[in-house]
Amino acid sequence: MKIECFIDGKRTLLMVNSNKPLNLILMEDVESSQFNARCRDGNCGNCVVLMNDEAVLSCLIPAFRLRDAHITTFEGYKKTRFWHDLERAYEDAKSQPCPLCFPSKTLIFESLLRTIGKPSEGEDNDSSLEDETIIKELSLNRCTCLDARELVEIFNSAANYRRRRRVRRN
Amino acid sequence: MYEGIRSPAIHVPKTMRDLVSAATRFRNAIYWAGGTYIMSRHDYYPTKDSYDIISLREIPDFKRINRTDRYLEVGPMVTLNQLASIGKQIVPDPLTQTLHELGTRIVRKQATIGGALCTPDIRLAISGTLAVLNTEIELKKLDAPHTESRWVPTGKLYDRNGRLLIAKNEVITRVRMGFDHEDFSYFFCSGNPMVIPDETVSLTLVCSYNQSVITNFRFCVTLPYGGFHQFQDIEVLARGTMLPFSAQQILRIAKVLIEAIESTNTTISALQKERVRRIFEMALHQLNTQSLAER
Ligand SMILES: Cc1cc2nc3c(=O)[nH]c(=O)nc-3n(C[C@H](O)[C@H](O)[C@H](O)COP(=O)(O)OP(=O)(O)OC[C@H]3O[C@@H](n4cnc5c(N)ncnc54)[C@H](O)[C@@H]3O)c2cc1C
Repeated sequence: MKIECFIDGKRTLLMVNSNKPLNLILMEDVESSQFNARCRDGNCGNCVVLMNDEAVLSCLIPAFRLRDAHITTFEGYKKTRFWHDLERAYEDAKSQPCPLCFPSKTLIFESLLRTIGKPSEGEDNDSSLEDETIIKELSLNRCTCLDARELVEIFNSAANYRRRRRVRRN
Repeated sequence: MYEGIRSPAIHVPKTMRDLVSAATRFRNAIYWAGGTYIMSRHDYYPTKDSYDIISLREIPDFKRINRTDRYLEVGPMVTLNQLASIGKQIVPDPLTQTLHELGTRIVRKQATIGGALCTPDIRLAISGTLAVLNTEIELKKLDAPHTESRWVPTGKLYDRNGRLLIAKNEVITRVRMGFDHEDFSYFFCSGNPMVIPDETVSLTLVCSYNQSVITNFRFCVTLPYGGFHQFQDIEVLARGTMLPFSAQQILRIAKVLIEAIESTNTTISALQKERVRRIFEMALHQLNTQSLAER
């Protein structure tokens, strides 16, 4: 199947099986360095990417859903200004995810940061997220390198940077 | 690397008519909703027998949410996240609780209500909750010229062992839930059906009472691998009982429940049995507490 989509802003033409999972496409057809181990069933949570600005588990997205989609991998995300909020939050908290889950946890944090203060179809669209929600959402990634307190601290710190950024922009 | 692996044809019907036509022509095709369950099977890709795919996402009726005075009706492609965000005033309490327990937002944004009800070999808590809430499901046969629809209670979608009873050429086209108010509702899921299915159990229970006498009592226990348990005789036993339950009554009803589950030849682990008993007892204790607090 021929599919055209955008990967990290670059128009990409893929020739892949229609049901091939996105994580495999990124690993084998695009050779993204975020993907070097194959997860299979959505249970490790190590393959998160942004698809049309929403976080998704790439192992659950088949090729046929990629037509005209905008995929942002962690490499692409690192080139955006949003990354700096999390980078600084990791520094403030003096803790960060381990190398294995770093990209996925960062992108889950990012997807949560995008919900704050924004009315969306999600349940939590208030100006701050409850600690329980932050911990639950991050549990999608099963790596236990950070404890609950660290996750909440990192998120809150990044959320402060994000709010300031929004205020400056307005 | 994947020589000999066939690339499935993807059919994307945009109307009900197109869907019937695709389903009639491609009888072995699989219906694709959010794809979270299909793709999370270990042997999903690569596999030699990739069936064609009929995607349900472009049929506008399937994404519709419709509210009348009497009920809420949703299409099968409404995502679990959309359902969770409709609002507590509209979505019955136990369903809201079930939806919030179900995975994380990233999964709920992709998974649909139709897909959650039709997972073929695993029974999820949402089926039990919708059954307890007397939700009705519209099923449509997609076998031209036989395309009749029928409404069935959620409980009739499965047998005792949780096996899906809908025919291969049938799809869910609507889910309808009433606004019946119950005085007490309870949902609890212990474990995670996708990670530790043989340890997970969930219970949904609703109850209404009038001057401390139980007038309505419904519950469902779901076990991911083989269990969808509603026992009318236990429900009848509870009706007419005066609240609060005594400690002996609670132990007795819980014991009857475990015996009833055992008598169905369900595969249930010792841990699950213990969990069912304790969760059921916990629900009855909470019911006691609530009814006493209201006196
Ligand atoms: C990472 C992860 C975590 C999860 N955590 C939980 C959890 O904590 N609790 C829980 O309960 N569940 C959990 N789940 C399971 C999840 O709820 C199901 O995967 C999801 O509900 C399936 O919905 P879907 O739309 O993706 O269905 P699909 O995967 O698209 O389809 C599932 C099945 O239903 C059939 N189907 C779909 N729509 C219809 C229709 N309209 N009519 C007839 N057949 C249809 C399909 O052919 C397929 O056989 C989790 C899943 C993942 C991947």
